[in-house]
Amino acid sequence: MPVPVSQMWTVASYVLGQKLAGRKQYPLVLMLEPLFRCNLACAGCGKIQYPAHILKKDLSPEDCFRAVEECGAPMVSIPGGEPLMHPRIGEIIEGLVARKKYIYLCTNALLLKEKIDLFKPSKYLTFSVHLDGQREEHDLAVCREGGYDIAVDAVKEALRRGFRVTTNTTLFDGANPKSVRAFFDEMMELGVEGMMLSPGYSYDKAPDQKHFLGRAKTRRMFRAILSNRKSSWRFNLSPLFLEFLMGKKTYPCTPWGMPTYNVFGWQKPCYLLQDGYADTFAEMLATTEWSNYGTESGNPACANCMVHSGYEASAVNATFSSLSGFLATVKGTLFSSYPDKEALRLLEEPVAAVHPLVQIEGAESRSLQETGA
Amino acid sequence: MTVLFDTNGTTSENKIMTGKEDGHIDHASPQATPPHANVNPDALEIAPGTAHERLEGWIPELASDDELRGALEKAFDYRGDVSITRKDGTKVEGYVFDRRAAASLKDSVVRLYPKNSNEKVAVSYAEIAALAFSGRDTAAGKSWEAWMKKYAEKKAAGEKDLSLHPEPLE
Repeated sequence: MPVPVSQMWTVASYVLGQKLAGRKQYPLVLMLEPLFRCNLACAGCGKIQYPAHILKKDLSPEDCFRAVEECGAPMVSIPGGEPLMHPRIGEIIEGLVARKKYIYLCTNALLLKEKIDLFKPSKYLTFSVHLDGQREEHDLAVCREGGYDIAVDAVKEALRRGFRVTTNTTLFDGANPKSVRAFFDEMMELGVEGMMLSPGYSYDKAPDQKHFLGRAKTRRMFRAILSNRKSSWRFNLSPLFLEFLMGKKTYPCTPWGMPTYNVFGWQKPCYLLQDGYADTFAEMLATTEWSNYGTESGNPACANCMVHSGYEASAVNATFSSLSGFLATVKGTLFSSYPDKEALRLLEEPVAAVHPLVQIEGAESRSLQETGA
Repeated sequence: MTVLFDTNGTTSENKIMTGKEDGHIDHASPQATPPHANVNPDALEIAPGTAHERLEGWIPELASDDELRGALEKAFDYRGDVSITRKDGTKVEGYVFDRRAAASLKDSVVRLYPKNSNEKVAVSYAEIAALAFSGRDTAAGKSWEAWMKKYAEKKAAGEKDLSLHPEPLE
């Protein structure tokens, strides 16, 4: 099932409307974090390190609706924390659907089967299931054995009930491009609508401080993964953002493109960095020193970032900023195989086993034998 | 008695840190500069991680305006509760989620969620008499090595559930 035409039309007309109105800074996706607590403790995540009294806080549905209306973005992504742990998540989703927002509920899916009756299938609601690769890679990334099987089981159930389902994958150093490609095959076979992927951001509070990809390695890894693409693969991302990851395009960061609202307020400057909070969206836009952020600013906290929350909005903006940008997007959509002999060679390069758990489990060789990637 | 964790997940015991011993890194020191600060980011293969300061238990000296501003900047970065004593003797303990530094201390504020309240509180820098990093640093002791060690221990013990779970919410 492809992205509904109504969603593409809503987003395209929204962006064009912003451009015609002459707005330089407009939000594309609201990142709505209704809570920070989670039922996983992933090594690469810097989102859950808070005192218990902060982890116990929830945004109320009314807080969520106010933020959505203040921001005005056509799409709302609900990460966290684990949003299915929110006691009123059903009400929040129902209210956002009523407001005709396209919602991506980001979940590790451990609770999805248990909570699925809280939701009704809708073109406005997509479960974006966090899967960081094939079974062993995912379980290692989320530090939870059996996590992959639970998530895949939940994906099947959601699809069976007629929900829109995508996957979202974060890659760190040590990811095996061949295994990632095999994972894409598995997800397409499963029947998900599309896949999202991104390099991990180097959260300074994450437990694992050793496996964040630098920009040079990110480009090489994504070139190996995304070149010579199979026609069966569908990505829920701008083709220009994928070209950015592959090193074919460069963009400045658009930190206001995916603004974040959570229990502290409107986060400055972006989804990943916390440099203070504003009480209103307008205040956040007006009081953030935007020139201090983005790789091009020289800010060390932004040095290695190539993450979707900063750069997908840049890619979408490029599509609608010029005829050449629009044509590049059309080309990337229609001709998405990206044949590349060097990328094939990169795929054959041995992957340095920097992921110690993969060494322990011998997952790399087994997963490749199983899939024949 | 405060238990301190280093970035390798090992622990040591100490009474109260002054912030100047036991591996404390001053923000202004070259050690505190991210190692990739002067490197072309497009050439980076692996992004160097962050070495954390050990601030738990620290009671900074606030003799000068600069010391106060520096300590509150660290409090903002800290992933645990802090205690602020106002000049009128009242005390507030909670999580600092924002600071707004202005030219004068009077116009600068630190904002926090008190431990036992859902109401955000703003405290002017000029009102602050004392600061203590009183709460546990929730980002400490959770290094990759610590996770590997726990994983190996669970595996060696023959445990079937080789998983790490979030800490229970006290």
